[in-house]
Amino acid sequence: MSDPASMADKPNGKYRTAAMLAVLALGLFLFTLYSGLK
Amino acid sequence: MSDAAHAHGHDDHGHHAHPTGMMRWLTTTNHKDIGTLYLWFALIMLFSAGTMALLIRAELFQPGLQLVHPDFFNQLTTMHGLIMIFGAIMPAFTGFANWQVPLMIGAPDMAFPRMNNWSFWLLPVAGLMLFSSFLLPGGAVAGGWTMYPPLFIQGGISYDLTILAVHIMGLSSIMGSINIITTILNMRAPGLTLMKMPLFVWTWLITAYLLIATMPVLAGSVTMLLTDRNFGTHFFNAAGGGDPVMFQHIFWFFGHPEVYILILPAFGIVSQIIPTFARKPLFGYASMVYATASIAILSFIVWAHHMFAVGLPAAAQLFFMFSTMLIAVPTGVKVFNWVATMWKGSMTFETPMLFAIAFVCLFTIGGFSGLVLAIAPVDIQLQDTYYVVAHFHYVLVSGALFSIFGGIYFWLPKWTGHMYDETLGKWHFWLSVIGMNILFFPMHFLGLAGMPRRIPDYALQFTEFNQIATVGAFIFGFSQLIFLVVVLKAIKGGARAADRVWEGAEGLEWTVPSPAPYHTFETAPVLK
Repeated sequence: MSDPASMADKPNGKYRTAAMLAVLALGLFLFTLYSGLK
Repeated sequence: MSDAAHAHGHDDHGHHAHPTGMMRWLTTTNHKDIGTLYLWFALIMLFSAGTMALLIRAELFQPGLQLVHPDFFNQLTTMHGLIMIFGAIMPAFTGFANWQVPLMIGAPDMAFPRMNNWSFWLLPVAGLMLFSSFLLPGGAVAGGWTMYPPLFIQGGISYDLTILAVHIMGLSSIMGSINIITTILNMRAPGLTLMKMPLFVWTWLITAYLLIATMPVLAGSVTMLLTDRNFGTHFFNAAGGGDPVMFQHIFWFFGHPEVYILILPAFGIVSQIIPTFARKPLFGYASMVYATASIAILSFIVWAHHMFAVGLPAAAQLFFMFSTMLIAVPTGVKVFNWVATMWKGSMTFETPMLFAIAFVCLFTIGGFSGLVLAIAPVDIQLQDTYYVVAHFHYVLVSGALFSIFGGIYFWLPKWTGHMYDETLGKWHFWLSVIGMNILFFPMHFLGLAGMPRRIPDYALQFTEFNQIATVGAFIFGFSQLIFLVVVLKAIKGGARAADRVWEGAEGLEWTVPSPAPYHTFETAPVLK
């Protein structure tokens, strides 16, 4: 978000953001299952 | 933002042909279409779960068993909760996000339009699964929307179906949240920095993070329920060495942030409406953003205030009691800012503003009863009484639902191109606000007098307040038909809406024509 002028055109940025969020969600799901095993 | 360059959208001319009829809605990737689908889905669910609520209130009109079998009563309370939360309130806010976020940040659409389509169409599948469980042997789930074991381990096939439906709705929410966060972070118009975003966009950004952080936890907990039920595990089965209280900890680690998932977008909507009709900029914009973020962070360290009665250590009770009370600070900042925005404003009282003002007053009542319940020794007395029912309905009906009504009246002219019927809108507001208070306020007294929740019959001394509540329920319930008429009338026709529908409206969405064209901001607007 450092350069407001370039915000409208970030073709790869959106895939990176989405991938990080998806990994976070999957990690939390697996961690919940792991916490249930203890 | 009002001086942003106009970036008028245009019609479909020049684009490839779009499918029509049912195929348009099944295959659409347009954020406005998908927003409309979410909102209609939410309205259908609202009426379905509202009908269940009327059945519950009809049964409770007098002591004794009149209309429904006790087990069916339990199914009604459970399904009412599940459908209202996952089927009505959450999809309604997602509908607002789909319609408004791209319009408010100057983006042409959501970041992942195909995933957006999938996010929506998972919901009717999950909804059908929930409703069809009424037809299965043993009926629908009856263990409460919180799905606590051991009841949820012992029930019939409908419990498996409900777990699957919750998984599907969770997947839909996670995909929707990824879309919203990615859109906001990557597709804002040049010049629209984070701290210039409309409050509604901010609240949805934070809500989407909450969803991503909590929905997988819910999915994990119901997965363990599923394996306990079908694969011989003992996560929550005390007989096998498991711990049913662990489910409550995991569930409420999701469940309390979920409360804020249901209310933060409401804060956003109200923060758009009040400055518009007070004709003043929002007081304390930065503090509103930080207060929203503070509420979201605090929501992760308060979960066990739902479990004071399970026998927590005293130190844990104190921690969760004080952390819960701490939430009143950023919430108080917000209420102060809304009142300060109205202070000495040139206020007018169109229907959206009426709902917003009712929100501020009545949500605050729900907040205060929440503070009462935060006190551990008091909560142990009031646990599972009607006081709790009164508390969360003040938060979710006069809070979340009223903000949804206010938001729809606010943006409906932009969506349909027609002004709604103001007279009918005001009738809807006054009947709703009066009916809602007659319905839920007596529940405080019932709870303080000791009436338990989730029962189809009660002791004679609770009769009068229950009868008052039932009268209020029918006033409130049937007044929603006025809302349906208002929406249908505005879709069908009416006075033409201006581009900038409201005199005090500020923001990019008011720079596009009314109704908003199918495609908007294909060229990004530039903010000065």
